[in-house]
Amino acid sequence: MHGTLFVSGNSGLHRLHPLTKLALTFLFLVFAATLPNLLWLLAAFVILLVPMSAWGGLLRPFLRSCLVVITPFVISLSIIQGFFTPGETPLFHLAGFVLTGEGLLAGLTVASRILMALGGALLLMLSTRPDMLMLALTRSGLPGSLAYVVLTSIQIFPRFQERAQVILEAQQARGLEIKVNIFKRLRLLVPLMGPLVLSSIVDVEERAMALEARAFSRPGRKTSLLALADSPGQHLARWGLLLLMLALIGWSIWRAISS
Amino acid sequence: MNGFRKEFSTFSIALMAVAIAINIGAGQIPRAVGLPLYLDSIGTVLVGVLVGPWAGALTGFLANVVWTFTGLFPQAIAWAGVAAIIGALAGVFAQSGWLKEWWRAALAGLITGVVAAILSAPIAAYVFGGVTGNAGTDAIVAAWRAAGFDALFSNVAQGTMSDPLDKIVTYLIVWAVLLALPQRLKARFGNQSGQAAKTRARKRR
Amino acid sequence: MIRIKDFCYWYPGQDQPALDGIDLEIPEGQFCGVVGPNGAGKSTLCYALSGFAPHFFHGTWEGELQVGKRDVPRSTLGELAGEIGLVFQNSFNQISGARFTVREEIAFGLENLGLKRKEIERRVEETLALIDLEALAERSPFALSGGQQQRVAIASILAMQPKLLVLDEPTSQLDPRGTQEVFKILDKLAGRGGTTVVLVEHKLEWLAAFADRVITFSQGRIVLDGSAKKILADEKLLKLGVGQTQFTQAAAAVQKKKFIPRSRPLPVTLKQAQKFFE
Ligand SMILES: Nc1ncnc2c1ncn2[C@@H]1O[C@H](COP(=O)(O)OP(=O)(O)O)[C@@H](O)[C@H]1O
Ligand SMILES: [Mg+2]
Repeated sequence: MHGTLFVSGNSGLHRLHPLTKLALTFLFLVFAATLPNLLWLLAAFVILLVPMSAWGGLLRPFLRSCLVVITPFVISLSIIQGFFTPGETPLFHLAGFVLTGEGLLAGLTVASRILMALGGALLLMLSTRPDMLMLALTRSGLPGSLAYVVLTSIQIFPRFQERAQVILEAQQARGLEIKVNIFKRLRLLVPLMGPLVLSSIVDVEERAMALEARAFSRPGRKTSLLALADSPGQHLARWGLLLLMLALIGWSIWRAISS
Repeated sequence: MNGFRKEFSTFSIALMAVAIAINIGAGQIPRAVGLPLYLDSIGTVLVGVLVGPWAGALTGFLANVVWTFTGLFPQAIAWAGVAAIIGALAGVFAQSGWLKEWWRAALAGLITGVVAAILSAPIAAYVFGGVTGNAGTDAIVAAWRAAGFDALFSNVAQGTMSDPLDKIVTYLIVWAVLLALPQRLKARFGNQSGQAAKTRARKRR
Repeated sequence: MIRIKDFCYWYPGQDQPALDGIDLEIPEGQFCGVVGPNGAGKSTLCYALSGFAPHFFHGTWEGELQVGKRDVPRSTLGELAGEIGLVFQNSFNQISGARFTVREEIAFGLENLGLKRKEIERRVEETLALIDLEALAERSPFALSGGQQQRVAIASILAMQPKLLVLDEPTSQLDPRGTQEVFKILDKLAGRGGTTVVLVEHKLEWLAAFADRVITFSQGRIVLDGSAKKILADEKLLKLGVGQTQFTQAAAAVQKKKFIPRSRPLPVTLKQAQKFFE
C-alpha cells in the first residue's frame, strides 16, 4: 500500500481485530518501560514479538524494519552511553575517553527498550490496514474527520514527493547550481518549495467542496462498506490485556517505591 | 468554544490533511539542495497561521502519528506533543500579527525553534537514553557529552544548534506563501489579525 | 426539475453579482450544456445549483432556486449532498484519499449517507458496471490515469443517485484520451435518460453530439438559450468569445466563398456537416 508499511496477507494476525492488535502494541510498550533488564527485554522480544510476526507471515519484513529502526539507536547509544557513563570495567580507550562495560550495558538496555516498543508498533502497522485501524477507532468514538486526516495524508504525501521531485528535476534542467554557498542555497528554497506549498493550499478549496459533495459533513450516523470481524473472545482478551498492563505498571511502581 | 468549532470546518479538515502531506512530502527538497534542515513542520505552521492554534496543534500531533504510520520515522510519535505546541504557537503568533513582516516571522521562527529544542530535549534524554536515532544530531550530542556536559544539557544544546535555523527558514517560507496566497483564501481561513478581508456591505445594482 | 426565478448571487465582499437575475427552468431528464467566456458565471451557476453558493462560499443571494422539491439556498449542504451531485475539473482533488481502493472510494459518499452495507454494495457494483470500472475496482485510486480518476469521481457521485448531476468542465485538465473516456460515460448517461444533467463544457463538438439544450452565459446573465443545434450554430457565440465547433467553422468558411448557398443552416455535428457539404 502506497505510503504505509502494511503487507497484505490472510494470516491469523492479519485477521485479529485492530483494537486487539493495538492493545498488544500498548502491552509491548508497557513491557518496554517496565521489564527490569536487558535479558528480560530481549527474551520478551524473542518469545513474543518474533513468533507473532512469524504467525502473520511477516518475519522477514518485521526483522528488516526492526533492524532499520534500531541500528542507529544501537550505534548512538553504545557510543554515547558507553563512553559517558562512569563504570568500573574499562573495555576500550579512545582519545582519552573510556568505553565502560556498565555504560555499554546501559546503552544496550535502552536500545532494547526502544526495540520492544517500536517493534510492537511496527508489527501493528505491518499487519493492519490503516483504514481498518481508523474504522475500529471511529467505532469507539474517534471523530471521523480525524480518521480522514490521517488516512488522506498517508495517501497523498507520496504524490507530493513526486511533485517535489519533478520541481527539483525541472530546476536542475534549467541549470540550478547546487554547489553555491549556503545563503544562496537557502534563497533557493523559496522558489523550490513555494509553488508546491502554494498550489496545494489553493487546491484545498476544491478538495473541501468535493468532500461536501460526498456528504462528509452530513450529521448523523455513518456506515461502512468494510466489515470488522470481532469476537467475544477478543473482546475479553482486550480487557485482559488492559488489566495486565495495569498490573505491570503497578508492579513496577511498587518495585520503585520499595527499593 | 466557538473558535474551537470554527477551526474544524470541512475546509480546515481538508487543509490539515494536505498540510501533513506537505510536512512529509517536501522533506526531500532541502536535502536535495544540500541543506542540513528538516523543514518538516511547514504544513503544521501553515495550519496554525491560517486556521488557528487548536487546528495547528492537532495538525502537529497527527503529523507525528502519520510519521509513525509510514514507518519512515516510527519514533516520531514520542515528539507528538512538541509538534502540537509548535502548531499552537504558530496560531498565536499569527493572531498577534507576527506574520505580517518577514523579520517578525523570522523572530517567531527563532522563538519556536528555542521552545522546540527545550521541549524535545527531555524526551531524547529520558525516553531515548540521550539520543534521537538520527546520526547527524546524535553526533552533535556526542560532541557535547565529550565536552563534559550531561545528557539533558547536551540534547538542549544540540537542539538549539539546529531547531532555530530550521524554524526560521520554515517561518520565512510560510511568510512567502502567505504573501502569494490570494486574499480571498486568506480571508476564508481568517486567523490573521487585521488581514481578514472585511465583508463589505453589498450594494444592489 | 430545476426552477430558478430571478436569482442573484454575490460572493463575499463583491459589489458585482456573479449571477445576475437568472431565470431558468430545466425539465427532468434533460441534458443541458452551459457555455460562456471565462468569468461569465458558469461555475457559480454550478455552485448555486448544488448549494455551495451560498453555503460554502457564504456571500448573499436573492430570488428562488429549487431543484425538485428542494429549496436549495435554504437547505444545508448535508441535506443537498446525495440529491445534487457536483463534479469538478481536477480529478486528483476529488479523490477523498480516505479510502484505499476504487470500490471503497465509490462507497465513501454512501457511507457518509449512512446507508446499510447491503445497499452500499449493491449501488457500488451497479455503478462500477455503469462506468465500466470493474477492472479497476481493487486498484488504488491514486494509481490511475487522469481520465480513469475522473471516471471514479463521476462514479462516486452517481452512486449517491443524485436527481441532478452538475459537471463543471470535467475534461478540461485531461489529455485527449481521458477526455474521450469521460465523454463516453456522459454519452451513456444522456442516452440512458432519467438523470438530469447540467454540463459546463468548452468542447462544443461534444456538446453538439449529446446535449439537448445549450444555455450561454455572459457577465452573470443568460444571453442565449435554446436547442443545442440552434445555439451552437448561432453566430453570436463568436462575438461572446465562446467560439464555434470545427464543423461550423469549416462550413462558414466554405459558405463565405459562395460555394454553398447562404440559406443552408450551419452544421454543429459530424452528421450535419456531411449533409451540409454534399
Ligand atoms: N470564490 C470567489 N470569490 C469571489 N469572486 C469570485 C469567486 N469565484 C468566482 N468569482 C468571480 O465571479 C465571477 C464568475 O466566475 P465563475 O463563475 O468562476 O466564471 P466561469 O466559471 O464562467 O469562468 C467572476 O467575475 C469571478 O471573478
Ligand atoms: Mg469556471
